[in-house]
This record gives sequence, C-alpha cells and structure tokens, in this order.
Amino acid sequence: MLMQNIINGISLGSVYALIAVGFALIFNVLKFSNFSQGGVMTVTAYAGYVASRYLSGRIDSSLVLFSVVLAAAALSGAVIAAAVERLAFRRLRRTKSEPVYYFISSITMGILLENLITIYASSNFYSYPRFFTTSAVPLFGVNVAVTDMMMFGLSITSLLVLLFILYRTKIGLGIRAACFDVNTVQLMGMNPDFLVTMALMISGALGGVSGVFLGMNYTLYPQLGQMVVKGFVASVLGGLGSIHGAVIGAVLLGVLEIFFISWVGAGWAPVFIFVVMLAFLLVRPRGIAGVIVQEKA
Amino acid sequence: MKNGMGKWLFCAVLVAVLAGFAGAASAKEILIGNMQDISGPTSVWGNAVTRGAEIAIEKINAAGGIDGAMLKLVTMDTKANVQEAIKGYNSLVSSGAVAVVGPPVSNIGLALAPIANKAGVSVVGSFIDPRVTVGEDGKPQAAMFLMQPSSIQYSEIMASYTIDVLGLRKVGVLYDQSNAFAVSLMKPYVEYIKAAGGEIVSEQVYTKGDKDFKTQLAKIKEAGADCLYFPNYIQEAVLVTNQRKQVGLDVPIIGGLDFAPPFASLVNDPEAADNIYLANNFSEKEPQLKEVWDIYKAKFGENPVNKVFLGYDKILLIREAMKLGGGSSAAQVMAGMPQVKDLQGTTGVLTISPETHQPVGLSMVMYKIEKGEYAELGRYVPEKHKK
Repeated sequence: MLMQNIINGISLGSVYALIAVGFALIFNVLKFSNFSQGGVMTVTAYAGYVASRYLSGRIDSSLVLFSVVLAAAALSGAVIAAAVERLAFRRLRRTKSEPVYYFISSITMGILLENLITIYASSNFYSYPRFFTTSAVPLFGVNVAVTDMMMFGLSITSLLVLLFILYRTKIGLGIRAACFDVNTVQLMGMNPDFLVTMALMISGALGGVSGVFLGMNYTLYPQLGQMVVKGFVASVLGGLGSIHGAVIGAVLLGVLEIFFISWVGAGWAPVFIFVVMLAFLLVRPRGIAGVIVQEKA
Repeated sequence: MKNGMGKWLFCAVLVAVLAGFAGAASAKEILIGNMQDISGPTSVWGNAVTRGAEIAIEKINAAGGIDGAMLKLVTMDTKANVQEAIKGYNSLVSSGAVAVVGPPVSNIGLALAPIANKAGVSVVGSFIDPRVTVGEDGKPQAAMFLMQPSSIQYSEIMASYTIDVLGLRKVGVLYDQSNAFAVSLMKPYVEYIKAAGGEIVSEQVYTKGDKDFKTQLAKIKEAGADCLYFPNYIQEAVLVTNQRKQVGLDVPIIGGLDFAPPFASLVNDPEAADNIYLANNFSEKEPQLKEVWDIYKAKFGENPVNKVFLGYDKILLIREAMKLGGGSSAAQVMAGMPQVKDLQGTTGVLTISPETHQPVGLSMVMYKIEKGEYAELGRYVPEKHKK
C-alpha cells in the first residue's frame, strides 16, 4: 500500500509538474501567473482527441498514432498560446501595465477558451481511444498504470528539453535575458515580442502534452483545465519562477495529496494540503527553490 | 387622398392583427414545463428525458390532445445548477405551465420542493432521493412526485441482489460525499447489507470534481472486498471502471443507473468494462416500449437510453393525473397525481403512493456488463418489497 501510494503520488505529481513548469516559465518572463494555461490545456486536449479520431483508421501503429496525437496537441498548444499572447498580453506589455492586469487578462482568456469548447463540443464528456493494449504493469509488487509511467517519463523529458532550450540555445538565452530586463534586451537588438511569444509557445506546447494525458486519464470535458490550480499551487511550493523547483513542488504535492487521501480521506485531504502549504510558506516564503524573483527594471 | 388611404390601410392591418390574436387564443394549448440539463454536465440525461417527453406529447397531440387542447412542451435549461433550475421553474409557473417534467437530479429536486409546494404546480421527476418527495415531518411534499423507484427502493434492490443472489458478503463502497444522489443510494444499501449479515470492509469517499480514485480503490482492494458498490454519475463510473483495472481490483462492480447505456460504449477498454452489475428501468425485450423505441430510433437514428423512457412516462403520468383530477389546471393535475394506479408505462406499471408520492412495488431489470456488452438477467424485486 505504501509503495502503491508513492507511485500514485509521483504519477499525479507528474501531471502537476507539466502545468507548473509552464507557470514557472511565464512567471519568469512576465512576472505573473498565467491562468490562461488551463484554457489552453482544455483546447489542446480536444485538439488531440480530434486528431486521434481522424487518424485512428489511418495509422496502424498505436505508438506512432500516440506520438502524432501528442505532437498535434503540443503544436496546437503553441499556436493557441501565441494567439493568447497577441490578444491578451501584448498591449498590456507595451503600455507597461501593472501585473494585476495580466492576471485578470489571463483568467479571462482561460474562461473564454473553456466556454468556446463548451459551445462547440458541448459539455458531454468524451473518452480518448485506447492507445495501448496494456493498461497497467506490475512494478515493485504494485500495479502501475501505463499512462502514469509515460506521464512521468514525459514530464522529465519535457523538463530536460525545456532546460536545453533555455540554457543551450540563442532563443533560450534571449528568454533568460528578457526575464531579467526586457528594456535592455530591446536595446541589445533583440525583439521582446518574439521572445515573449516564444516563451508562451513553449508553455503552450507543454500545456498540450498535459492536456492529452489529462484527457486520457480523466476523460475529456470542458472543465479539464481547472486542474491548472494544482499546477499553480505546485509552482508556489517550488518557488515561483523556478523551473526545477516547480517540478519538485509538483511531485511533492502529488505525493502529499495521495497520502492525505489515504490517511484522512478525500474530504479532508484538500484542507490538510492547504494547511501544510500555508505552514511551509510561513517558514519558507520563497518556496523550495528559494528563488528571488527579479523585479523588472 | 393619400392620408385617407393610409388610415384605411392602418385600420386593415390592425383588424388583421387583432384577428390573428383572436385565432391564436382560440387554439387552446396546455403548457407542460420541462426542466432539464440541456447544456451542463448531465446533458446526456437532460436531452434524453426531453426527447422522450416530446415523443409522448407528439403521440397525445396526434390522437387529438386532451379534451381538444394540444399539449405544448416548454423546456428550460437547468445546466445542472440549482439556481438556474429555480429561475426556470418560476418562469414556467408565470408562463402558465400546469405541470413540470422534472430533472433526474436530486440536488435540484430538494431545492425545488418548498418552492413548488408554494406555487402549486406539480413537478414529476426521477430524483430518487426520498427527501424530495417526503418532508422531514414524514408527510408528502405536496407538489413533488417521483416516477421511478426511490433511492431506498433502488438501493435495496441492488443490495438484495448483491447478497441474496450473487452471494457477495464483503463489500467495498466508494461514493461522492458531496452529492445527494450518491449519498441517498449509499446509506440504504449499506444498512441492508449489514442487516442481511454482510460486511462493509471499506467505505471510501471522494468529493465533487475529483477524478483520480486509485488511492481509494487500492484501499478497497487491500481490505479484501468481494465487490465494489459505486453509486455515482456516469463520468466517474467510466473513470472508476478504468482505474479499477489499473490498480488490479479484480472484483465485480455493483453500480447505479449510470452504468446503463451508453456507459459501456464510453469506456475505451472493453476488458475494463467487465463484471459490472446494474439495475435498469426497462428491458429492451418488453413489448410495452417497442413503439417508443421504434419512434425514437426512426427520429434520431440511435437506440434510446433509459432516460428517454423516463421522460415519456412522466408525460403519461401527467396525462393520467389530468384524467383523474378532472381537468388540466395545475390544481387538478396535483389532485390527480396521487390517485394514479396501475398505469402501464414503458418502464413498468406505475402506482403513486398518496403517503409518499413515490411509486409502489416497482421492480427493476438486472443487467450484467461482460466485456463491454450488456446481458439481461431479468426483472428483480426483493422479497421485502413484495409485502
């Protein structure tokens, strides 16, 4: 039971990690928590579903089909995130608006995307097709869901890819420079619009991957993206703005959640989680990573 | 000259409009309200009930209506939201509805009961929580009527089948503690199992919005349960069915009405949609529903789900209440409803108890889902209910 709980916790934390990393990335650049990520996740989950339905008779290999569906969702996530940046954030950035306006704008975009899905796809839920013949495998004497294992693997992979982009590419260098000071970046001849859009597109692609896994695990419904709140909590625990802190915070949150459900029941578990979180933030307000968020110059 | 022509033209138009109004008023209509979730999370049910009610109304109107008056269904979208439902009900009352086809949602039924009692317009629903139809004082809620077994009757049918027929004595229970429907199906089931010598080895809960139940299922597995009782909505039923397989809980699920079609088609793994027992309102083989079945299939190009027949029977009940109450006013419908006796509906023979406003002695049809396919096991009613 202990091992089953640990594995369930890590797998749940993996979902939160993908969301939290997106949060951390955007917080670094724009200094606000991007709640439109929930709406992006929902839309991309549906995009993945549509792709899977369209391609299921055309691609024989389940693994290839799954990879294509993931890629389609990630791509649509990137495109939608770019559109969100253009519609909701660019003008605010150019007029140097207060962070609270970004926050309101992101929540509005999240609600808008969720409602668009409700209008076009109805509030009925849908089930993703089955990609793998085996649903669970024995590991350390307990059953582990295949999708959970993949989610964990993909969370780690996504994190490594993201770190590679940020620390080993010119775009990454630009994004990190923009995180520190957008104005100077512009003086150095870089295009801040492009850099911010790229950051949002990376975050949107991660949202796309999360959306497909959420859809596969929990069925597809318009409120799917509301799980973004858990990603936000994880990124706060990890230290807002820290990417590796977001992953650690997410896994910790997942494990805590599963153990509290096991010990005190699902009714009390959220209360205990928030009490632990408040106590932790009182002791360590900067989160696990202890990141000091740079204020914009 | 032009002015004179204008006046004549104006008078002619006015006369025509007034004549039109007079014509509309003379074509008598009886307004039946319909409050269903059309766009919310339980819209699968809401749309099915609405379609069933529409088929019944079309059939009644085709046969000349009621005393020459045509029935008209006016639908309000509750969005599975209590506040929306209250607004919708008040709107229907002020529009002149004489009865309301209620939703299959107990939370909404509970909120509507005091408002409907005051307004005096009957709500005929399939909200199975007995508190919707019987008040805390033990007296029936004047305007609330149930037309399928209450949660107590339904739970006892399931519990009796679990222990008396299947011989399963160690039960694990998982339910949504924030949902009146789930709680009302859990308590009588647990009481019946305990009274019959069975044991609840693990009682697990979750709350609204939860989607991952693997921890609770693992605890039920660890407790050594012979079966899992899961009285919850269809989306959670799909998730639990998949997650049961993922944690290796290889025991039968004893489920509620939400395991009825289209449930099995929504589980993407037929290996997971296996070894599940449920009680449904009807059997496809029974002759009384063939006509409705055929009409529905011809009209919508798909097989009807159980809520279609509940919607159809709700209209039959309202029509019968009009006959017994001596007219089609709201007061007459409310007076006639408790007098309904041995009415052959599509879901069974309906008799409404004047003491509880619930149906008396209704049996249910048992099904088993095997590898994604429904196998009918026949009608079942516990000995206790026959007395």
